Amino acid sequence: MAVNPREATALQPQPAAPPLPETAGEPVRQSNLWRDAYRRYLRNRGAVAAGILFVVIVLYCFLIPGFWFVPGIWTTIFDIDYNDANFAEVHLPPSLEHPFGTDQFGRDLFTRVAKGGQISILIGFAATIAILVIGIAYGSISGFVGGRLDNGMMRFLDALYGLPYLPFAIIALAIIGTVNFWTMVIALTIASWFTAARIVRGQVITLKQNDYVRAAHAVGARWYRVLMRHLLPNTLGVLIIAIFLELPSVILGEAFLSFIGLGISPPDPSWGSLASEARDAYRTYPLDLWIPCLFIAALVLCSNFIADGLRDALDPRTRET
Amino acid sequence: MAAFIIRRVVWTIPVILLVILMIFVMMRQIEGNPFQKTNRPVPPQVQENLERKFNLDKPPWMQYLLYVKGVFTLDLGPSLYATDRDVMDIIKEHFPRSVKLGVLAFLWAIVFGIPAGIIAALRPNTMFDYFLMFFSSLGFALPSFFVATLFIYYFSVQWQVVPVQGWPLGFWELDSRVILPSLALGLFPMAYFARLTRGTMLETMQQDYVRTARAKGLRWRSIVARHVFRNSLIPVVTATAPLFGLIITGTFVIEIIFSIPGIGRYFINSVSNRDYAVVMGITVLTSVVIILANLVVDLTYGFLDPRTRTSRT
Repeated sequence: MAVNPREATALQPQPAAPPLPETAGEPVRQSNLWRDAYRRYLRNRGAVAAGILFVVIVLYCFLIPGFWFVPGIWTTIFDIDYNDANFAEVHLPPSLEHPFGTDQFGRDLFTRVAKGGQISILIGFAATIAILVIGIAYGSISGFVGGRLDNGMMRFLDALYGLPYLPFAIIALAIIGTVNFWTMVIALTIASWFTAARIVRGQVITLKQNDYVRAAHAVGARWYRVLMRHLLPNTLGVLIIAIFLELPSVILGEAFLSFIGLGISPPDPSWGSLASEARDAYRTYPLDLWIPCLFIAALVLCSNFIADGLRDALDPRTRET
Repeated sequence: MAAFIIRRVVWTIPVILLVILMIFVMMRQIEGNPFQKTNRPVPPQVQENLERKFNLDKPPWMQYLLYVKGVFTLDLGPSLYATDRDVMDIIKEHFPRSVKLGVLAFLWAIVFGIPAGIIAALRPNTMFDYFLMFFSSLGFALPSFFVATLFIYYFSVQWQVVPVQGWPLGFWELDSRVILPSLALGLFPMAYFARLTRGTMLETMQQDYVRTARAKGLRWRSIVARHVFRNSLIPVVTATAPLFGLIITGTFVIEIIFSIPGIGRYFINSVSNRDYAVVMGITVLTSVVIILANLVVDLTYGFLDPRTRTSRT
């Protein structure tokens, strides 16, 4: 679990915000949370730029090599397979056909980096969603039921916090036996779902004390209705932010595992394994290392900026000074 | 305060027991585990001896209790790969090197990260502030294996400032070879501390007691030192707990890149060698280290901020 300092500050009690200046004379307009949030997000130029870059990277990763049944742009135009070795074209410099050059087996790096990104991003999103689902289930039960159960479940989480991330993921991989896409997702999920559970629990406990929840109880709403209708929808904002806080740490975790050689197995690329392969020949072909690493860095930075922008947009009170 | 310390320390024991239990259960799930019986014909006497040696003739709960006893008496049994060595010997040999690496990385972070954060908070929105924020964003985003590779290439190969590889083996032994690994590992915590210190300093400076102190006419310098800095330190101290886990994760990669014979590299080799006794021993060790680090951080927290003594257990 890579910890983000923004996350740390987000979890701390924030000072009360000064009252918002009222614009006099303007007609009262109907608005809702999401439209407001959208407008506030657009005002944050850094977050918008990060969002655009994020989308561009994702499009590159999915459209260039193709995915599922969609043919890739590059693979179709130049008839390239990202896993096919071609020893006549080893270590070519960048050209139109191979904008990033080729690697030591003559494989086109432009499509390989894209495919690697695709795998990294898919693992990242799949693990993040799994983390959130487990976190929501665990956190909402713990926070909603409260009392002894809550205490016990939180103590259990405390114990899990003691487990170091990487050994834990490696042992999880060893238990499952083979390393493929889904085992990576499972291993990374097992190793880092605790934070999401804590966030959801904290949020549910705070929301539980709101008057509308008590009112719902008073008019006889069943517990599942209170939970589904009043509590969980209100945690949605925090969870969307949590996606973009979790994503970089999962992507970095995957890169670390692949780099050590315990990740996605060759010939399929991932950003971590591409970097690992390129490291030995850095002296002669520095570009091969720079490209995947800069993609990792760009994606992590974008996620951080997006999370920041989303937090400001969804909850103006927590705006950083 | 005494009650708080006792409660907190006593609570650590069941946590350690639970963590050992979980690691124990997980390790027993691994396929191809030497603890499981195979189809290969082994003479019954050998099988029996092996089982006795690794306590496999006893029921699982007994094995667990024996392992816990082993943890507390610092005797984790023999290694399965290097059969002439005990797990504890291996840990004793390799762990201090990793500790040295981690401590040095932390030192970089504290010595440069916190002051940088303070200066940035005192001069917000200046060139230095922007530069620092940019730099700390890079520290977060760039994977440490990338930074480490660049360090080796430029500082050792290209400019030949420091040797390419190697590690002074003695715990107190320091030379130029420790600079690059510890800096590569310390970059993330450094960025983390700088950002966190800056954030909490700016937040504290808006508190009423700071305004009161200014209204009283105290010198700004002493306000910063006595009111702002001390109160900003608390979140920074709490933030060190999750950092321990990160540093441990980081040592795995850094030790491989710089060929440091530490515990992380040994762990990865043991995974390939299927040396489950060592894998388990190192996992338990790092877990216990993290739990104890959390304990120390919590106690410090309780010491710095008396309000937390009652609410946190």
